[in-house]
Amino acid sequence: MPKPLNELSERLLRAGVAPRHVRRYLTELAEHLADLRAEEECARSRVEAQTAALARLGTMDDLANAMIKQRKFQSWSARAPWAILGLAPLVFLAAAYFVAGLYLWCGWKIFLPAADTPFGSRPTGPIYEFANLYFQAGKLYYFAAPILVGWGVALVAVRQRLRAVWPAVGLVLIAWMGGTAQIHASLAAVPGGLGHISMDFFALGSSYSLIHALAILSLTTLPYVIWRPHKPQPFSA
Amino acid sequence: MAARETNPNFMNGVPELLILRLLQQQEMYGYEIVQAIRSRTDAVIAVGEGVVYPVLHGLERDRALRSRRKTVNGRSRIYYSATHIGSHRLAQLSKTWTNLAGAIEKMLAAGPHAEAIK
Repeated sequence: MPKPLNELSERLLRAGVAPRHVRRYLTELAEHLADLRAEEECARSRVEAQTAALARLGTMDDLANAMIKQRKFQSWSARAPWAILGLAPLVFLAAAYFVAGLYLWCGWKIFLPAADTPFGSRPTGPIYEFANLYFQAGKLYYFAAPILVGWGVALVAVRQRLRAVWPAVGLVLIAWMGGTAQIHASLAAVPGGLGHISMDFFALGSSYSLIHALAILSLTTLPYVIWRPHKPQPFSA
Repeated sequence: MAARETNPNFMNGVPELLILRLLQQQEMYGYEIVQAIRSRTDAVIAVGEGVVYPVLHGLERDRALRSRRKTVNGRSRIYYSATHIGSHRLAQLSKTWTNLAGAIEKMLAAGPHAEAIK
C-alpha cells in the first residue's frame, strides 16, 4: 500500500473510525489509485503519473475528513469508551465466572455427589483420571478468564489506537474483579441438597487478593504496552 | 501532494444526488462513477476522487445502495447499484435540488445582474 494511504489509515484509526470501515476505504482507494496511475501513465513518466494520481485522489485532509465527519463510521469504542472498555469487560468476566460456577456445580454433582462442597475434603476418597482433569481444567479456566478478558481489552485498544485512559480503567477494573473474586459452595444453603454456588467480588480483604489483582494487572497490561504502536510522525497533507 | 481545487459549500448533498442518479441506471465501481460524473458535468464539479467512497459507504449503510465484488478483466472491484430505498432518496433529492436551483435562478433573474446572465 502506498505510504500516504498508510498515513491515512493511522489518522482515521486515531480519529475513532472503525477498523472495518478503514480497511474497506483503503482497499478501494488503493484500487482507485491503481486505475488513476494506469490512466496517467499513458501521457507521463511513471514518477509523474504517481504524483498526478495521488493529486487526483484528493488531499489527505479531504480524504480523512470525508470519513471522520460521518459519525456512522465511528467505532463503538470511540463513541462510548466507558461502555466498551469499562462496562463490557466486567459483564464478560461476570458471564465467564457464571460459566465457571455452572461447570463446578456440574462436576460436584457428577463426581462428588456426597461431598458438602466440591473443594477441600473428599469424603469419597481421592479423585483420579477424568474427574481430576475435569476440575483442573475448571481451575485453569477460572484463573485464566480475567487475563483473557484483559487481553481482549488490550487488543481492542491497540487495534483502534485508543488513548491509554479507558484501556487502563478497563484493565484495573478487570484486575480488581478478578483478584477479589471468591467462589463459595455449600450443600446446606439450599434445602433439598441441590447445592449452592455463589461468588463475591470487589472486597480487598486479604493480601492474597491484592497480589492476585496485581498479577492480573501485570499480565494484561504487558501485551498492551508491547503491542501499542508508537505515535507516528506529524502528518503532511 | 498538491492541493486540488474543490467547490465544497454548494456540494452538500450533490455527490449523493449524482451517484444515485448514475447507479440507478447501471452498476458501477468507484473509478467509473468519478469518470462518469466528470464527463457528464463537463468537469464543472471537481472533487478529490477518493472522497466518493465515504459517500458510497454511507449510502450503502443507509441501504440506499448495495455492493458486490466482481472480477472483470482479471481485476476484482466493488460494484455498487441503487436499491429501491436509493431510488426513493434520489426522487427526494432531485425534487429538493430542482426547487433550490429554480429559486436561485429566479433570484438571479430578478436582481441587478439579470442582464449579465441572459
